[in-house]
Amino acid sequence: MREEAKVVVFCCNWSVYPGLQLSHSAAPTGAKGLVDPIVTMCSGRVSPELILEAFSQGAWGVLVAGCPPEECEHNGNYKARRRVLLLQNLLAQMGIEPQRVRFESFSTGESAKLGQTIRGFVEEMRGLGPIE
Amino acid sequence: MAKPKVALYWCASCGGCEEAVVDLAEDILKVVEAVDIIFWPVAMDFKKADVEGMADGEIAVSFINGAIRTEEQGEMVKLLRRKSGLVVAFGSCAHLGGIPGLANFWNRETIFERVYKGVPTMDNPEGVLPQTRTAVAGKELTIPEFWDTVHTLDQVIPVDYYLPGCAPPPDLIMNAITAILEGKLPEKGAVLAPDKSLCDTCPLADSKPEKLSLKEVKRPYEVILDPEKCFLAQGVICLGPATRSGCGERCINACMPCRGCFGPTKGARDQGARSLSFVASLLGIEEEEKMTDEEVEKLIDQIPDPAGLFYMYSLPSSLLRRRIMK
Repeated sequence: MREEAKVVVFCCNWSVYPGLQLSHSAAPTGAKGLVDPIVTMCSGRVSPELILEAFSQGAWGVLVAGCPPEECEHNGNYKARRRVLLLQNLLAQMGIEPQRVRFESFSTGESAKLGQTIRGFVEEMRGLGPIE
Repeated sequence: MAKPKVALYWCASCGGCEEAVVDLAEDILKVVEAVDIIFWPVAMDFKKADVEGMADGEIAVSFINGAIRTEEQGEMVKLLRRKSGLVVAFGSCAHLGGIPGLANFWNRETIFERVYKGVPTMDNPEGVLPQTRTAVAGKELTIPEFWDTVHTLDQVIPVDYYLPGCAPPPDLIMNAITAILEGKLPEKGAVLAPDKSLCDTCPLADSKPEKLSLKEVKRPYEVILDPEKCFLAQGVICLGPATRSGCGERCINACMPCRGCFGPTKGARDQGARSLSFVASLLGIEEEEKMTDEEVEKLIDQIPDPAGLFYMYSLPSSLLRRRIMK
């Protein structure tokens, strides 16, 4: 049997998590079973250290899901966007495919997009396989 | 009563840590009055066999500097560990991997290719590379194996305390020696330096604006820095916010931004990730709502070597430890 892609999704409690719960109930577009999301209070609270910790513990990919521009109460989404971009550059230097970490934004109502993105990300990580 | 025995040893290092001991100046007389230095290859004539001849635990404390990157270094630190009551990782390289740890962007093969074949000054038509065993005139010569990966001292042997810095400043060395002699050491595993960040003790702290924003990133050679003003406020990356204090702000006072040699502050697992985090937070923060993804990308790309910058002293101790070679 093929090893399942180990993907970590950090999702914002305010925009993404409600949508994720919805996507779980919508079987055709759902991401149920694929990932066990980690809920954070804001995408701006997802520290790069935490993302590297996930990789060092065997994650194949890490998706940071936050609010779209102008929808975050704390502007944490902008921080997350910049951190993930800089982290991608750093990962490339470490010999790790930069696409293994991604920032995506979702509104509360976008459960279909969320499910689709997670499924797409998991598929992409399946293609890459584990690190090393 | 016999004086406590002390060993000093060096591994993958530059010699600056040895220099730091000499920098104790007159204080070194107090040290040699209080302890017996029984092993210090750089300064005194003792051999490995002298250490081997000692009882386990006979050495009160071994100060070991340098990263661990060869078989010989691994063997020597294991020997010293066995013979010592306490082991102190002395300086950035033993503590975090240090500058020699930047070799973890490469491996033995690529380093040998470069050093013994690639460099323009090398004349090696037969492409001879170091071998651990070589037959010469019917005899076999051996040299220690050079490892693919540079390690911190605590990745090879258990370490009791850490004296950070490139090199550790004399006041912290004296504090550590005094604490050992008086038996007033903190809990095992402690870094023998303050728990504050460099930003907290920085002489330029008052000039740091309430809200920092980096509109563009300048490298130190591109600007003439105002020595009285926070370097971050001048657009030059300084790792003070993510680095432990205790260095005496030597670089800051010499108008150079911090590069992190004292390692992460207490509780941080990965100094580079912490540094990356705060730098990314400050970049373009004022205009962040108006910036497109492309503009943000352009701003981020102004840091050409994030891994080398953020892990300048700590790559082997980082969560990823090394570059994956394909």
